[in-house]
Amino acid sequence: MKGLLETLIRGLGNGSVYALLALGFVIIYKATRVISFAQPALMLAGGVAVSHLTGVTGFYPAVLLSALLIAGVALAIERVAIRPMVGRPVFVVAIITLGIDVVVRVVVNAFIGRDVRQVGDPWGFMQVSIGPLVVQTRWLAMMAATAVLVGLLFAFFRHTRYGLAMRAAAFDQETALAQGVSVGAVFALSWGLAGFLAAIAGMFVGTGQGIEQMTWVVALKALPAIIVGGLDSLGGAVAGGLVVGVVESLFQSYQGEYAPWLGQNFAVVSPYVVMLVVLLVRPYGLFGTREVERV
Amino acid sequence: MKSRCAVTYVAIAALLSACGVFRGDDQGSTGGAAAQAPGVTSEPCPSAVDSKKGCIYLGTISDLTSGPFAALAVPITDAQKAFWARVNKAGGIGGKYEVDVTKYVKDNKYNPEVHRQVYNEIKEHVLGLAQTLGSPTTAAILGDLKANDIVAAPASWTSAWEFEDVIIETGSNYCVEAMNSVDYAVDTYKVKTVMAVHLAGDYGADAAAGAKFAAARDGLTFTNVETPSGATEQGRAITEITKNKPDLVILTTGPADAATIIGQAAAGGYKGRFIGTGPTWNPALLKSPAAPALKALYEQSAPGKPWDADTPGHKAMRAALPGVTPNDGYTSGWAWAYPMKAALDAMVAGGNVSRKGLLEAVKTLKSVDYEGMLPAEAGNYADQTAVFRQTLINKVDEKAPTGVTTVKDFFTGPTAKAHTFDGPCFAKL
Repeated sequence: MKGLLETLIRGLGNGSVYALLALGFVIIYKATRVISFAQPALMLAGGVAVSHLTGVTGFYPAVLLSALLIAGVALAIERVAIRPMVGRPVFVVAIITLGIDVVVRVVVNAFIGRDVRQVGDPWGFMQVSIGPLVVQTRWLAMMAATAVLVGLLFAFFRHTRYGLAMRAAAFDQETALAQGVSVGAVFALSWGLAGFLAAIAGMFVGTGQGIEQMTWVVALKALPAIIVGGLDSLGGAVAGGLVVGVVESLFQSYQGEYAPWLGQNFAVVSPYVVMLVVLLVRPYGLFGTREVERV
Repeated sequence: MKSRCAVTYVAIAALLSACGVFRGDDQGSTGGAAAQAPGVTSEPCPSAVDSKKGCIYLGTISDLTSGPFAALAVPITDAQKAFWARVNKAGGIGGKYEVDVTKYVKDNKYNPEVHRQVYNEIKEHVLGLAQTLGSPTTAAILGDLKANDIVAAPASWTSAWEFEDVIIETGSNYCVEAMNSVDYAVDTYKVKTVMAVHLAGDYGADAAAGAKFAAARDGLTFTNVETPSGATEQGRAITEITKNKPDLVILTTGPADAATIIGQAAAGGYKGRFIGTGPTWNPALLKSPAAPALKALYEQSAPGKPWDADTPGHKAMRAALPGVTPNDGYTSGWAWAYPMKAALDAMVAGGNVSRKGLLEAVKTLKSVDYEGMLPAEAGNYADQTAVFRQTLINKVDEKAPTGVTTVKDFFTGPTAKAHTFDGPCFAKL
């Protein structure tokens, strides 16, 4: 039982990071109907920015500055590469985001260099006892930070003018435009928020193990998360991220013992299996909007 | 509208250029010596030291930008450029040719398909390959190398190269490395159980097979844990180590994976020993949270001596690479170039300056002068059964330039000494 609970906490910790990444995907998707494949690069850039700034400003200011910096980078990308494509097929824009991802990663790789970079976090592999459980502090930090950020994000959407504008634009762009909502500003804001969240996720991915050029691959785990949760549901993104984290962690700990016939590393594909199952049962995700097609 | 047209023109130009419709470097010509072998010209190299000498072009296919081994591949490539510049300054090959390794350098992104594609782009313009990085990537071009007698120096240590005439490997393979590591641990730490934690494929599986052979010979209990690449994917490997508590873990992963496994296993109460193959180490790990665990539990097995070793070869390398941050990618890259130089020397001396001539020259090499970096017998390509079986063990040392110093010099353990190589080890895991 102790092992199971520790496994769940590890899964929830990692799942919190996937949730932050998934939120970025969903925010951009809701605003623009485009899946932005630039999120992995923004995540990597966030982690690398923290690793450079942490020695200068200390860890916590470095995290805030990096998140703001990456939000700025995301805004710039939206203004330069995405805004001119408004009105074009979303498929074309999605492919452009793939290109942006590659370009940003090549630039960021120059800032990573040859060695693994450390983000200078205070947690390392430190462990803490909660009753009989022994868990890593960084997993608790991941969960706490995600809880706070998700709370702030939901409050922003519910209680601020810009949040309302974003919700309106996500619901119906033309009507929102007719009501005086600046849809362009909504696009920009969605990219900025996604960049901010990706940077925080990048920092957490780097805790303990550091950042290297291939770290961007972690962000791809947000894809099954958004499909599981529903592409257009913020709550779904959080739930999807946590589900992916927990499923992965359970498979890492127990699959070898209980289902060795699945092969040695089924944990790697387990999020995608969950995604397939969800797609079969609820094609629009656990919390996504059911699409109605009139023929 | 104008700007859209401009963007369209630029895009078309970029596309055509990428497709090779027009390019400024005129790769189609290697100097107007139609009768000469591919990659050999009577005209001097582009940056020749002596313009009276001809030029031998060697290709380089490496992981230069976005692949997982870029951190190692860039120093390897830089070291080889410095190596051949030194050779050219010292009179070139047989006083007749200089060697160029700068014109045909291609990025494989550690992707076998890309590797084959860029290989096809350069193969008509080079005599051989100064570097072909990676095992699966090189396997993708191996058939063509053999069909065209193209000699290639690999940048990998899989045991599969022991059985290929056209591949001039340097240093012991991962399989031998792991055998020696297990034998060393039996002697030094009296281990009784061993676990191989490794990546899939002919890097990780080669070492795991070596560990398995040694465990069988030494009467140890052996378990095999294949793990995916990526520091965030190591949960299962860590669980297996902390649950089973083997006396020894043979690690064959990347450095970030290794640090995660060692750091978290130690935090989880594991107190056994880790010995990682050469690529598991990176000096930057000393700044990671895993540093105390690495210092306490980890040693690195290696096919060659580290950067600061006191041999003429190491000294020449350090002199040729002033101001670089020490990295054993440089050391490996430099050492890998010696057999190609010996083969080119033998080819020019033999008078048959061609791909066939180079391959024949390779088959005559019974030893290679590595200037002390490796024993000369490591360069025995004349006898296909002569597998080099010596490796070293390094320990973490913060004061050393690359973070490690040698604790056990070149040695062959009893398992490696007795083992008969009759096929790649990774196929027998």
